[in-house]
Amino acid sequence: MLELVAASVPLALVASVPLLLAVQGELVVQRSGMINLGVEGMLLAAAFTASVTGTLLGGVAGAVAVAAIFGVFAIVFRADQIVTGTALNLLALGLTAFIYREIGSTAASAMQSNVIAPFAWIVSPLLLALLLWRTTTGLRLRAAGENPDALRSAGHSAAAHRWLALGIESVLVGIGGAHLALALSNGFAENMSAGRGYIALAVVIFGRWRVKGAVIGSAVFGIAAALQYALQAAATPLPYHLLLATPYVVTLLILCGVTGRVVAPESLGKS
Amino acid sequence: MTRLLIGIGAAALAIAVLAMAAALAGHSPADVVGVLFDGALGSPLAIRGTILKSIPLLLTGLCVVIAFRAGVWNIGAEGQFIVGAIAAWMGSPYGTIASMLAAAVAGAVWSSIATAMRLWRNAPEVLTTILLNFIAVHILGWVVNGPLRETSARYPQSDPAASALPQLAEIHAGSLISIATAIAAWWLLYRTTEGLRLRATGLNPSAARHAGINVPAQIARAMAISGAIAGVAGGVELLGVTHRLFERLAVGYGYSGIAVALLAGLHPLGSIASALFFGAFVTGAGELQRTSGISAAIATFGQAVVILAVVAAGALLTSRKPADA
Repeated sequence: MLELVAASVPLALVASVPLLLAVQGELVVQRSGMINLGVEGMLLAAAFTASVTGTLLGGVAGAVAVAAIFGVFAIVFRADQIVTGTALNLLALGLTAFIYREIGSTAASAMQSNVIAPFAWIVSPLLLALLLWRTTTGLRLRAAGENPDALRSAGHSAAAHRWLALGIESVLVGIGGAHLALALSNGFAENMSAGRGYIALAVVIFGRWRVKGAVIGSAVFGIAAALQYALQAAATPLPYHLLLATPYVVTLLILCGVTGRVVAPESLGKS
Repeated sequence: MTRLLIGIGAAALAIAVLAMAAALAGHSPADVVGVLFDGALGSPLAIRGTILKSIPLLLTGLCVVIAFRAGVWNIGAEGQFIVGAIAAWMGSPYGTIASMLAAAVAGAVWSSIATAMRLWRNAPEVLTTILLNFIAVHILGWVVNGPLRETSARYPQSDPAASALPQLAEIHAGSLISIATAIAAWWLLYRTTEGLRLRATGLNPSAARHAGINVPAQIARAMAISGAIAGVAGGVELLGVTHRLFERLAVGYGYSGIAVALLAGLHPLGSIASALFFGAFVTGAGELQRTSGISAAIATFGQAVVILAVVAAGALLTSRKPADA
């Protein structure tokens, strides 16, 4: 049993790359003061555009498109972020399914994940931590999430920093979506993001809006997933469908298990 | 009045965007809109289909209206719908009424899990309700492949439920249940002090607290009522339309409820018109898929357009905060 789990850990670390990148992207966006529930739709759109174009850049383009709409609603219109995000997820779900049916199949070219997995687990977290805590831009980005009025009084634009955060999220989620469609699967499938975006939001909270927490949270999650694969392989008496539910149950437990004072960015979600 | 105009505008925009998407994909937009209208309203059969689709949509819409009015983000109508349907199936040997009650209780219990997590562990209900949707989907998958699988075990579905809703003029009695629920929700929100407290909680929780309103109790009650209504939606769909449980039972009714509620400006009686519109939209999209091969998922896209249009109009029409530098 233990060997089974150990053997599935590398697989799990590669398999949780889309989640990990979505967690990091959402972390930056929430640090800038927005809750982007549409990260699920971004991931799905990125998986779709990546599998149509067969490239990473295509995936980023899909994520950018969804993030741009979110930005217009959240930053320009100051509309409700939860409702906007929910609508964007429906938008991505409906539109990708519609276009997928129109064009028949997607040109899936396999992608090697031996670059993306180290990027997602090591390079990107280091870069993000440096940006957020070692640069003035990062300081201002976090200020946009804590006290946008103070940032404005200091002569800087909260809006610009929120757009920057959405841009970073788009790149990360775009790569994650491309990885999902091209490395982990054989091209696009309807609703293939399967709730990873929502789980990512939970992991951001679990990681207490810190990069280290995001990486640890995603790893815990990946290993829980590995356990699920191991249980499947070991043919446990637990029915297959209930095993499928375990990631969501684990996420619920994670959300409830965050003990102590959880310090969210002060102005998070306030339009 | 403004809300009505926004609603009509958003609905028209959804049809226009759909026609445009179809045109880009190489279909004739006039044909597409024609099929959409014919498929939804062109014959007695089409109208019956539209009404049948509107019934669960009205209920899930009301579920969202109650929750959003109280300021809680119940995005979990889909899961509450599913557990409601399962409970209705299990309650069906004891009669239709017992079955519907079981559905309501199951929905309320399912939404209350999220309430408990919010009130005791500070877990945001917007996430927990969504996660509970996924769990409900997999529980449904499990029961129709396992314990509740049909006796012949040929397909992953249950046997037909032991009771069914009576039919009135070829429409099941869920029509009456849903309209009665809309009126009851309106009465609760606008004609009772409890409704006033609920709305006050949603408008400004801290002001409500200072006015002596027990905010956590209001949230708990709103979530329970909201979940119960979504559970009834699942029960009504099972006992009125599908009669069997199977994996793709809910087909997004829960998420569509958000579009229904927002198009109606979160008004319970407005939700009747809004549900009929989306019922027609979904039915027309189904016809599109059959005749033109356009994915019926286009209806989901249309719902998103409606939500975004309503949100944008609302944000642009309400007084703007000072512009961001």
